[in-house]
Amino acid sequence: MDSILELQRVTAGYKSIKGFKSLIKRVEIVLRDISFTVEKGERVAIIGESGSGKTTILRVILGLLKPISGKVLIYGKDLYSLPSDQKLQILRRIGYVPQDPYRSLNPVLKIKYIVGEPLEAVGVEWRHIEERASEVLKIVGLPQSIINDTAEELSGGMRQRVLIARAIIAEPEILVLDEPTSALDVSIQAQIINLLNSIYNTFKVTMITVTHDLGVAQYLADRLIILKSGKIVEEGSVDEVLRNPKSEYTKSLITSYLQITGINSLNNIKIRG
Amino acid sequence: MVLAVRAGGISIGYIDEEEEYIVWAVRGVDLAIEEGDAFCLVGESGSGKTTFASAIAGILPPHAVTRGKLYIFDRLAIDESTWNFNGLRGRVVSYIPQNPGTSLSPFLTVEDHFYYVLRDTLRYDREKSRKAAMEALLKVGLDRGVLEDYPHELSGGMQQRVLIAIALASNAKIIVADEPTSAIDANLRASVLQLLGRLNREYRVTLLLVTHDLASTSIVCNRLAVMLAGKIVETGRTISVLRNPQHPYTKMLLDCVPLLGVKKPLKPLPGEPIQVVEDKAICPFRERCPRAIDKCVEEPPLKPVGDEENHYVKCWRLTGVESG
Ligand SMILES: Nc1ncnc2c1ncn2[C@@H]1O[C@H](COP(=O)(O)OP(=O)(O)OP(=O)(O)O)[C@@H](O)[C@H]1O
Ligand SMILES: Nc1ncnc2c1ncn2[C@@H]1O[C@H](COP(=O)(O)OP(=O)(O)OP(=O)(O)O)[C@@H](O)[C@H]1O
Ligand SMILES: [Mg+2]
Ligand SMILES: [Mg+2]
Repeated sequence: MDSILELQRVTAGYKSIKGFKSLIKRVEIVLRDISFTVEKGERVAIIGESGSGKTTILRVILGLLKPISGKVLIYGKDLYSLPSDQKLQILRRIGYVPQDPYRSLNPVLKIKYIVGEPLEAVGVEWRHIEERASEVLKIVGLPQSIINDTAEELSGGMRQRVLIARAIIAEPEILVLDEPTSALDVSIQAQIINLLNSIYNTFKVTMITVTHDLGVAQYLADRLIILKSGKIVEEGSVDEVLRNPKSEYTKSLITSYLQITGINSLNNIKIRG
Repeated sequence: MVLAVRAGGISIGYIDEEEEYIVWAVRGVDLAIEEGDAFCLVGESGSGKTTFASAIAGILPPHAVTRGKLYIFDRLAIDESTWNFNGLRGRVVSYIPQNPGTSLSPFLTVEDHFYYVLRDTLRYDREKSRKAAMEALLKVGLDRGVLEDYPHELSGGMQQRVLIAIALASNAKIIVADEPTSAIDANLRASVLQLLGRLNREYRVTLLLVTHDLASTSIVCNRLAVMLAGKIVETGRTISVLRNPQHPYTKMLLDCVPLLGVKKPLKPLPGEPIQVVEDKAICPFRERCPRAIDKCVEEPPLKPVGDEENHYVKCWRLTGVESG
């Protein structure tokens, strides 16, 4: 088996200054002793409530937050002990879709500059970038006509497509997505889920998705990693976890989810009439 | 039967900054909510849910314009362009905003939040407000200790429960809850929804719940309306709309909900929500509808569905103009 990404006992957090008087710097631990492996071509979802540390895990993977202890191995290389040029080279193989399409897009930049950025960063010639940008816009289902517009006028769903186009333009081998659908309506969410799966099938990427929504995870992953307060409380295939959850947190998540969507999933849950 | 809310041909728009045009967010809505109902308003982003909800709560911004009539318990609150919410706002109708994080002031304790609302609506003094606050916090399952806390010291779910408690303490007969679309997990969502449902049943508070998730209405609401581009396209008892959806838009919404443990493909229709500037009388779903016919350039009437009590749909395909 080819392990593409491995976290080994990662503990990470943020430096914080607590209180006005004591300007004592301390580190707020957010992730505790996190270990997991992602194989090539896998679809993995990291699930957890708000504040559980999901985005922080992605920061660690993306080379943006050095763990306090533990290792991050990408393609077998220890990310945080590589010289910076080699680190960059590895990170270029990862495409990233950040959380919150409303805040992640520079409102004054034209779409072609936003989408082309990862190629520009590695010095690709501009006319190639433009060509490639229009290719990926097509892949994500956006009209060519927006290439010279800014993002300001775009709907949430279109913004998310722009971010996905940017993430895939440099043909990454790993696609990392932070809550790719949680700012969207159910129908637009469904469009994006289908788009991501068609990208997965066409380009044979490895996909790591962060979400708070078990239902979405079921569609975007084959394996689940469940996080609670910065710790992994459960890990397993989607079927395994849904059918036979082990941790109390996972059990309650599933129960709540079934309650909320009770009407559709099976008629065994009482509906108010 | 007492009606808590009655809207007659209500339209609500916003005047554009340069005063060049009006964006009509709600367009000619007729709606009745009975006292004790738990009524859900469902629709995609921009469909006008918050606009309609804020009209009922009496908190439309000054640049909003209105037509038609809105009654809150027999009181005429909106009469064409005239608004009169005195004695209603905060007292009869209480509003739980969409975004708890930005709706609470970072400089006030939870106790202060209660006090300022209750002083203004019910003329309570500090002591009375504190007592009412403790009672309401108990109902939403929060410890009285949070009274001394500032909002940032509470989790998102706790902030939301504080807002619900404030609405409760004001003894409002109608609670309008604009559901957050932010990232809260199923546990939190279920507990907030269940709490609202319990308040509705045990205290007979009339509830208007706003959401974009059709499926999650079922545990709380007995009636619902599906809104699209400022119009109601389907309404009825929750059980009859969800079991027997009629409008192609309602059907699509249900086809898009991920179900746990059920592997079915999600079937969204292509296309994006539309923003309505011109108040044209067409079917708002026409451009995205797989079943559209020529007739759909005209606006269909809201017609009853079969023998179902109170189930109505706005679609030419279902009103006998053309079958199939
Ligand atoms: N830049 C930062 N500086 C300091 N603390 C941070 C920072 N980013 C996050 N935190 C803290 O780390 C914890 C985990 O945050 P993180 O953003 O990883 O959670 P999350 O699971 O992604 O939550 P959400 O679902 O709300 O996005 C939180 O307590 C948060 O306050
Ligand atoms: N204060 C405002 N000023 C001007 N236009 C507004 C204002 N609030 C809403 N609108 C416009 O009115 C329309 C309906 O918006 P509204 O907020 O009622 O929708 P919504 O259904 O609540 O959407 P969401 O699910 O995103 O909260 C939109 O086109 C929006 O841009
Ligand atoms: Mg996050
Ligand atoms: Mg809204």
